[in-house]
Amino acid sequence: MTQPLYMPIPATIEQITDETPDIKTFTIRPEVPVTFKAGQFVELALPGVGEAPFTPSSSPKISENMEITIMRTGRVTDRLHRMGEGDEVGIRGPMGRAYPIEQFHGREILIVGGGCGVGPLRSLLLDLVDELDRYARVIVRYGAKTPDSIVFKDAQTHGWDQGGALDVMLTVDQDDDSWDGHVGMITSILTEDYLDCHADDGVAVMCGPPVMMKYGTGMLLQRGYRPENIWLSMERNMSCGIGQCGHCRLGRYYICRDGPVFSYDEIANNPRLWDD
Amino acid sequence: MKWTLLDAYGLNDVLVALSKGREVYAQEGHAKGRSRLSKSTNWQTGFHTLGTCRPTEPLKSLFFPAREFVGRWNDSAAREPMPERIVFGVKNCDLSSLAIHDFVFLEGVAKDPYYAEARAKTLLVSTDCSDQLDVCFCTAVGEQPWAEKGFDINIAGTVEGCVIEDGSARGAKALQEVEHMLEPADDELLAELAQQRIERMEELVDQCNRHGLRPGTDLKAAFEGAFQSELWAEFSENCVECGACNFICCTCHCFLLADGVDRDGAPARSKLWDACLYSGFARTAGGGTPRPFRAERFRNRFDKKFSYFPEILGKYGCDGCGRCTEACIAKIDIRDVLRRAINDSTALHADTGND
Repeated sequence: MTQPLYMPIPATIEQITDETPDIKTFTIRPEVPVTFKAGQFVELALPGVGEAPFTPSSSPKISENMEITIMRTGRVTDRLHRMGEGDEVGIRGPMGRAYPIEQFHGREILIVGGGCGVGPLRSLLLDLVDELDRYARVIVRYGAKTPDSIVFKDAQTHGWDQGGALDVMLTVDQDDDSWDGHVGMITSILTEDYLDCHADDGVAVMCGPPVMMKYGTGMLLQRGYRPENIWLSMERNMSCGIGQCGHCRLGRYYICRDGPVFSYDEIANNPRLWDD
Repeated sequence: MKWTLLDAYGLNDVLVALSKGREVYAQEGHAKGRSRLSKSTNWQTGFHTLGTCRPTEPLKSLFFPAREFVGRWNDSAAREPMPERIVFGVKNCDLSSLAIHDFVFLEGVAKDPYYAEARAKTLLVSTDCSDQLDVCFCTAVGEQPWAEKGFDINIAGTVEGCVIEDGSARGAKALQEVEHMLEPADDELLAELAQQRIERMEELVDQCNRHGLRPGTDLKAAFEGAFQSELWAEFSENCVECGACNFICCTCHCFLLADGVDRDGAPARSKLWDACLYSGFARTAGGGTPRPFRAERFRNRFDKKFSYFPEILGKYGCDGCGRCTEACIAKIDIRDVLRRAINDSTALHADTGND
């Protein structure tokens, strides 16, 4: 590591895209390229303010810059949402364990996202779509609160959901006049009516708010997915990102070092797994 | 190699010689029989002591300071190098706690260069405990009131003379500087020391027994078996979440990377001790926390020390120094908590299966 430990690599905000009223995608260009794998995270630092952990939403094949899709929800993200293109930030990372994508080869992959959790999943999806013929099938099930709060709205028009190898379905908890799609919680489109899957040997990858992960995991288990094949992006207050500061311990694991991606069987026996 | 002093020399001669060219940390007397760790340019006979028990300050603060400057934004200027240091009178509880910090700061994903530098430049001179504080309970967590490993030099005083032992290559090298004052310790002296240690140990074991803690009890099984017990809620009822137990603990290693500005207004970052008793410790930006209740945070502290570290490192994250008991303004005695965990543990009192 050329940068002193705990200090970020200087970076610039190259572009800011509004996704929803409280979610923006920031394109960050670090002074030194940062190579990451889908599922790994970085610490995004604001000079003199603080830093917070995020998993990039852009393709891991690009290292010159990265996109990070961020909801305004705390002190650091509030400040970040008020920053502009050209402003200086910092990056530490990549950190943690990525999705074990080699284990996914040849199998059917179900991606389940909720709200802003679709950010990390987009990074994975871009990786998968790049080599779609390596996988039996890729299914995406995404839920947002309202049509307005759907992230990556333009992704629907990319044509990914045509051709059969990729099966995409969205739902909103609450619809409005603009919406002619499905209405209901994410779990409502994981039922047999809306999800035709090979659960016994399929892989499920999920990222979203804790409550969605909790009920989503329950649903996947009910559908027959094996605990070791359900991959979850866990979140805690990761601070140092290298397994030292103690904030993100989950049982015998440090989420920053041993995760943030875990299979459900690795973590199932922890009390308060979902912060609820 | 085990040495003793030649008749012509006193222990002070050795200590003065060893402190030459090194920043000195040693104990100074303090009220109520407690002693403080004090910093000096040299060993001051009559002011410094090797101490009868551990000082108030945990040894970790010399390697992992309460507040450590990490760096300025966009400025990779190296920090001033640290001077060579020597710590006299380190007690085994503190010495043993460094195994935890070494594991965290040296053996993980990345090595903390400041911690590594502090470890590399600090000569640790341990001494046997010649007394015990009311709060001491090291024998209940598998330790003993003298150092068996981890020291550079150990000095054990007996009525027949002292035994000086090197415990590392650099300790042996440092002792070369005073070799002319030493001769090999004879068997009689070593037998005297062994006897003295047994007696010291017995007194501590007695003290622990009075608190219901016996040597060799499996505290991991006790904690895990008492995870669902009401004891966590009951003991934490008076806890004010001040975090003193965390900060004063010789093994607690959690820290916060805090961003702010340097004196000239430039963005800078520091590393500060943090406390898992604080409600914001594990809270995420969205407001969620895995431990919303104080009892859970209180239990988490024991979880880390008596379940996590034994599993990961094969060692309790507690060395029985008793500082948390001393520091707690709610008068929560860690020994009472452990005794209750032993009593309440379903694992330790498991049904034999003949149901």
